[in-house]
Amino acid sequence: MNSSAQTGRGLAWALVGPTLALLVAFNIFPLVYNIVSSFTNAELIGGAWRSVGGANYARVFEDELFAGALRRTALFVVCAVSVELALGFVLALTLQRDFKGKQVVLTTLLIPMMLSPAVMGLYWNLVLNGNYGVVNQALSALGFDPPQWLTDRDYKFWSILLIDVWMWTPFMMLIALAGLNSIPTSIYEAAQIDRASPWKVFTRITLPMCAPVLGLAVLFRATDALKQFDLVMAVTGPNDAATQTLSTLLYQVVFRDGSVGLGAAFSCVILVLVIALATVFTRYIDRVQSKDVNA
Amino acid sequence: MKLVRWFVLLAYLALAAAPLAWMALSSLKRRDDTIAPHAKFLPASSAVDDSASPWFEATLAAYRDLGAVHAGAQESFLGHLGSSVVIGLLSTVASVALGTCCAYGFSRFRVPGAKDWLFFVLSTRFLPPLAVVVPVLIMYRALDLQGTHLGLIVLYTVFNLSLAVWLMKGFLDEIPRAFEEAALVDGYSRGQAFLRVVLPEARTGMAVTAVFCLISAWNEYGFAMTLNSSGAVTVPAYFAGLQGNIEGMPWPQIAAGALVFVAPITVFTVLVRKSLLRGMTFGTIKQ
Amino acid sequence: MKSTLWSVCALLALGLSACSGDTSSPTPSGATTASASKPSIKIWWFQWDPATGLQELGREFESETGIAVEVQQIPLASYQEKVFLEFGGSRTNFDIVIGDSQWIGRGASSGLYVELTDWLPTVVDLATIHPRAAKYLCEYPEGSGRWYAAPCETDAVGLAYRKDWFEDPAERSAFQARFGRELSVPATYEEFRQVAEFFQRPDAKRYGCAMPSDRNYDGLTMGVQNLLWAFGGRWKDEASNKVVGHLDTQGTIDAIEFYKTLMKLGPKGCERLDYGQVLESFTNGSTAMILNYFAFFPGIQAQFGDKVGFAVVPSHEGRRVASLGGQGLSVSAKIPREQQEHAKRFIAWFLQRRVQERWITKPAGFTANSEILASPEFRAKTPYNAPFADSVDAMRDFWNVPAFNKLLAVTQRYVGMAVDGEMPTAEALKKLALEKERILKEEGLL
Repeated sequence: MNSSAQTGRGLAWALVGPTLALLVAFNIFPLVYNIVSSFTNAELIGGAWRSVGGANYARVFEDELFAGALRRTALFVVCAVSVELALGFVLALTLQRDFKGKQVVLTTLLIPMMLSPAVMGLYWNLVLNGNYGVVNQALSALGFDPPQWLTDRDYKFWSILLIDVWMWTPFMMLIALAGLNSIPTSIYEAAQIDRASPWKVFTRITLPMCAPVLGLAVLFRATDALKQFDLVMAVTGPNDAATQTLSTLLYQVVFRDGSVGLGAAFSCVILVLVIALATVFTRYIDRVQSKDVNA
Repeated sequence: MKLVRWFVLLAYLALAAAPLAWMALSSLKRRDDTIAPHAKFLPASSAVDDSASPWFEATLAAYRDLGAVHAGAQESFLGHLGSSVVIGLLSTVASVALGTCCAYGFSRFRVPGAKDWLFFVLSTRFLPPLAVVVPVLIMYRALDLQGTHLGLIVLYTVFNLSLAVWLMKGFLDEIPRAFEEAALVDGYSRGQAFLRVVLPEARTGMAVTAVFCLISAWNEYGFAMTLNSSGAVTVPAYFAGLQGNIEGMPWPQIAAGALVFVAPITVFTVLVRKSLLRGMTFGTIKQ
Repeated sequence: MKSTLWSVCALLALGLSACSGDTSSPTPSGATTASASKPSIKIWWFQWDPATGLQELGREFESETGIAVEVQQIPLASYQEKVFLEFGGSRTNFDIVIGDSQWIGRGASSGLYVELTDWLPTVVDLATIHPRAAKYLCEYPEGSGRWYAAPCETDAVGLAYRKDWFEDPAERSAFQARFGRELSVPATYEEFRQVAEFFQRPDAKRYGCAMPSDRNYDGLTMGVQNLLWAFGGRWKDEASNKVVGHLDTQGTIDAIEFYKTLMKLGPKGCERLDYGQVLESFTNGSTAMILNYFAFFPGIQAQFGDKVGFAVVPSHEGRRVASLGGQGLSVSAKIPREQQEHAKRFIAWFLQRRVQERWITKPAGFTANSEILASPEFRAKTPYNAPFADSVDAMRDFWNVPAFNKLLAVTQRYVGMAVDGEMPTAEALKKLALEKERILKEEGLL
């Protein structure tokens, strides 16, 4: 028995070992590299590293550029997630009942989510072009004076958000739909007997019972939106003050300016934020799973 | 109430599908028609002379051109699609293989600190690629993996492991242990039981996992553009790299290429539609 | 510590590749590997007509020497990153890079470009290279006599206009009635703005003017600096490299304010046009005048024939400066010696007078050979050659120090904010000047 438990343990490590080792390696090496180089003047091209002390961190904290990118990313995450959640939830409500052709409608709605954001960002340049874009032509034909979606400083950030909403609302819809479907019909029937108003049913039953699943959806989207890179690169490029996000600023600093050290310091700061978020996330998943709310 | 429902649904459906429809139309145009100051939205079968007319001559030229090398590129769209296929498929196979083994270990054995390890695995997914790309680049330069298929295959495999492990663990947990125990009683070894009994049962789960690994490798851009800028370039990096082209963007080819590029993903997604949500949430929601 | 971790990673990566069952070997990245059978060199340049012309010359070189030449064209938006990602590796994919003029500082001081100082005079008479081309395209530091590139394409910003619109009697009398002078090719920026205003008719989808303004690489900077120098502004003090008190002066402010007014007189979205899009606004027949590099003009000429005219950029109060374009041929330091010899052989061949005479027959092949530039035959050959030759004498360049890319990035950002009205111009320039001095100090250039 003892020996079989031993081989069992050996087998267990043989099974999980390669994966864990790979993940550790691909995370630890970059981490160490970033921490070490963040205290140096490392450049993308050659040259020996020279220690610069905390100068890179000082710049990250003092330079408006970094604070700006952080604020903009936060705004992006908050807006994208809340709009997508609201829209997705409303859509899920319309799709709650079965009807003929529901599968076709669902599949069509899901397509934007499967597209490559980099390619789609590029393609939206054509759709939203201020001169010959079809959106502005249609708006002009209807008598509006359309804005310059991609070049006007008041609009470009929101245009990117719009594209993100187009791509990711289906995801929220899908999750909300699962949440709605997991509510037992008996509860609704009981509410009907109690003559609860539809509004009351919605706020007292539907919303609270969907909440745990929606929470997961919000966390998944938030971590994704936090990484926003592809769309900004395609629409305005990495050096546009009105749309710079954490990832595109990193790209600018590291690959255009070549300042690897400064980029590493910035990465480390981002890392701390990500770890904090990941902790919240994992705790939440843990809680949801242990309650086993999902049907 | 019912009316409002239908109105909302149809309005959103129309708005969301419009850009896709426009893409399909654009793929049938010539370049001049895609950037015409008078929108062309009606396909015609013959040439149209009037520049203010909404009609345009539909052509499949853009699809035929997918095999041609465009100015500013070294390879045709099909060449890049080949890279995407090789990288996407092989990294998917590797992720699913490694992820299934790992998930089986966590599902059936008592691994010390299992929960912490699992959350560590999940948390690797939160990291913005741009925060780790320089060290990876340095590593790949030393290993001569920059601009190779293998480099991205390895990277995407690692990148997708968190997804594969979490999804597969959920699927494996659902397979009753009694199956293996019966097999062990029949004289199978642990390994045989895993291969002959558990794996066949986990087929669906592996297929679902594979689809989601494929999607994320297929559409990835940040690593692809920085690590493989001049060799084994995948489709997203190829299209994005055409920006700044003096001849202007080849819009019809981009539209046609984007449609061709999304087609396999759509098919796969329809095939696993029942587990769609599960896949998108790392198995944390089991529909 | 670092190296142990690194080797762990290396092992794991290799181990995984074995696990994955992937037996395909990495595609060879060094496609230029000189095979024993046939020597060849690879040249990288951005995607435009001159590169196509150079490829044609390359075939002539191959038939004369047996060394094959491949010119790889890469779209401008990602060109810089791709080139420097290559330089970061142990061996570049290219043997010759035709780098943007401002890269030379980085290329020279980081040991990426092979120094040609001793070799170049043995294959070409340096006196035949136009002094401005030598200074901006080939030497680092400017005028130091240390050569890191041989001139390839010489280029400057010029003006292209719709001659047929300018000559239309109805337009001419309408212009006369409105502005009290004859409609003519603008010699000053004031005149330029007047003409643009005159032709700006959005309802008829006809626009006044367009010029580079893209934020992605260097478009905006190249577009603005024509005005900047003409209005008496400057990027820096030439002698001391000091920026504060030089950049943030009235001349620069006036130039940007004027540039902003021009942004209202172009096609919609003209605050963000890259070179190709500026070109497109002209070739789609909607825009009266563009400021863009001469290298694009032969294509325009071919499309429009005698409906188009060319001129030097406008002036202001007698000052006329054209943004320098163009690039030199640099040999990569990160290729085997043998390849460097092949590359040098191509450069020597290219610089011969007889080949330069061929080069100018190629679409947009613009030489730096001052004898050819000054010759009456050259000036008379095409409608754009004479204004081009005149522009070469008036061209100047942006920073070309090793920190060029950082200086460019902040310039694009702050000038962009000023042009977009996100920040008052004077304030943006003050901040830009401080940022630039910070970068210059970090690099030990101030």
